[in-house]
Amino acid sequence: MFNFRCAFNSASALCRQLLTPLNVNGTVSQCGSRRLPQQRPLFLSAMRHQEAEASTGKDFSYFPPMPGEDSPLRWAGKKFEELPIIHIKATYNNTHIQLTDSTGQSLVRTSCGTEGFKNSKKSTPIAAQTAGISAAAKATVKGVTFVRVVVKGLGPGRLSAIKGLTMGGLQVVSITDNTPVPHNGCRPRKARRI
Amino acid sequence: MARHLRFIARTVMVQDGDLDTAYKTLNRILTQDGIIDAVKRKRYFEKPCRERQRKNFENCRRIYHTEMARKIAFVSRTNREDPWLGC
Repeated sequence: MFNFRCAFNSASALCRQLLTPLNVNGTVSQCGSRRLPQQRPLFLSAMRHQEAEASTGKDFSYFPPMPGEDSPLRWAGKKFEELPIIHIKATYNNTHIQLTDSTGQSLVRTSCGTEGFKNSKKSTPIAAQTAGISAAAKATVKGVTFVRVVVKGLGPGRLSAIKGLTMGGLQVVSITDNTPVPHNGCRPRKARRI
Repeated sequence: MARHLRFIARTVMVQDGDLDTAYKTLNRILTQDGIIDAVKRKRYFEKPCRERQRKNFENCRRIYHTEMARKIAFVSRTNREDPWLGC
């Protein structure tokens, strides 16, 4: 539970840090001042945030709904635990994307190699984006809209694969990081001397 | 992570389709928890002698930075009541 407590502390502190400057900018924009045009997107998002809070009255938490507690959040009528999962394995040489349902049955599988890239071109963010777009296209054929994303590894296609999914038309509900961190298990290969 | 705490730990919900903020939040949480550092370090094996040197260096660096921050905070206290009032 140590990671959870760390995440909770840092996420709650982050929520406070992220939300307070937005509220300040939001009130300034409602006064009708237009001195800072480049901050207009920030005002809009802050105004939308305040309007959403005022109209619906619900607070957004960065934490996912726990399987035990019943939360009112639904996506296409499904609870958080029943949404399909997209596994993105971002290695240093390639990026694999696999769509499974909530039980683990595989539905769609794409990677930079299946998109026609070869050798060093597979380890680029553009290749990961194309793989994401094609995976999203195949997923919409199967009738999938809302999806949870699980990322594994620190490779070049880590962010651009998720971007490709949204560009292809899937709606991302949450991002999880499942990068394997051994507690000193297998000995990795020796250090490179370049 | 694996079979434990699936979708509980290291998870960030996306608000209003705002992917970039969610990814940045996740990245910030992971760096603050030291996970990104650990993953990068464990890519290649770090010999025990190098590990001891690195830990020593990070200790000294931490002490230096905290002391310097303390000094700067102390020196930059310009607006305060007169400590020598009455002399």
